[in-house]
Amino acid sequence: MRSSKQAQSRLALTMTTTMTLEEFSTLVDIHGSNIENWPPALRKVGKTLLENSDRARILRTAQRRLEQQLDQITVPEFTGLQARILNQQLPPRNGSLLDKLLDWLIPAGGITAQLWRPAMVACLPLVFGIVLGNYYSFGVGLEFSEVEYWEDELAMLSLSDYSESIF
Amino acid sequence: MTDEELMLAVCDGDQSAYQIIVKQHLNSISHYAYRMLGNQKDTEDITQETFLKLWVNAGKWQPEKSKLSTWLHRITHNLCIDYLRKHSRMQTQEDIENEVDAALIEKGGDDGDDVTQQQLAKLDQAIGRLPENQRSALMLCHYSGFSNKEAAAIMNLSVKALESSIARAKRSLRKEMSENDNAQ
Repeated sequence: MRSSKQAQSRLALTMTTTMTLEEFSTLVDIHGSNIENWPPALRKVGKTLLENSDRARILRTAQRRLEQQLDQITVPEFTGLQARILNQQLPPRNGSLLDKLLDWLIPAGGITAQLWRPAMVACLPLVFGIVLGNYYSFGVGLEFSEVEYWEDELAMLSLSDYSESIF
Repeated sequence: MTDEELMLAVCDGDQSAYQIIVKQHLNSISHYAYRMLGNQKDTEDITQETFLKLWVNAGKWQPEKSKLSTWLHRITHNLCIDYLRKHSRMQTQEDIENEVDAALIEKGGDDGDDVTQQQLAKLDQAIGRLPENQRSALMLCHYSGFSNKEAAAIMNLSVKALESSIARAKRSLRKEMSENDNAQ
């Protein structure tokens, strides 16, 4: 990949001093018959070749002819299209609350947002699990008071090592 | 108002800002779609869908990454490619030839300008026969006035691949036109 880039830049450097007819033909195809529209570094050598080569002039004339013919191909009028587009029923812009939440969690751009918000999404099941566990006992009897229960929950979430306190 | 201000207004549901954008970009979008598809009915459908997508996805445009016209052409390009892949290429080519024939009849095919008109019709047909990527590259750079870099972004290609497509397209067209000249 790197050597390919180096080869390309070497080629570009060579082309700023000399240019073959084949290279000229390719450049005429890519940038058009008007050399003023070519990359600045290639204009001078292109003009020199054009002054000194009949074949280069023939290539440019053929290109110019094609461009003129392309310019003559017209597109029909689309009468009524503007009215059709402006009168079409547009869906409501303001999305649902869920859409807004998703738009916020999965933003269009920004490297920080791209990393942070998926992390937030990943945390959602954990939050959901805590809320669910707090409100539903799932048949397990709780003898502790609510305050003690929450303290235990928080202590468990801190991932402390309880092995020493047991003994 | 700048494109950015207009798009912010569209994000807030401002329909008058949407109308301004439609009026500004309608011609370039419909012309590009027509040159890709070659028939009027599908061009109108694709153009309408492009602007509907603009309305729905306005918040996804990133002004720091691309100009609004580039983004809109990219939407149109993707819709055209989807269309061309869903429908058979032969059908689209047939449409192009029918429209070219109709245009010739409208312009009076037997007039003194006959040879030029026929040449243009042949060129139009030759454009229609180009592979999608070559046709698209030629249309974006020659007619829509995009730089090679912008056209490459629209087509999701490298600049080098785009330039290769343009060169191949022009060589192919020149070859067809010279064969046509020799036949006459």
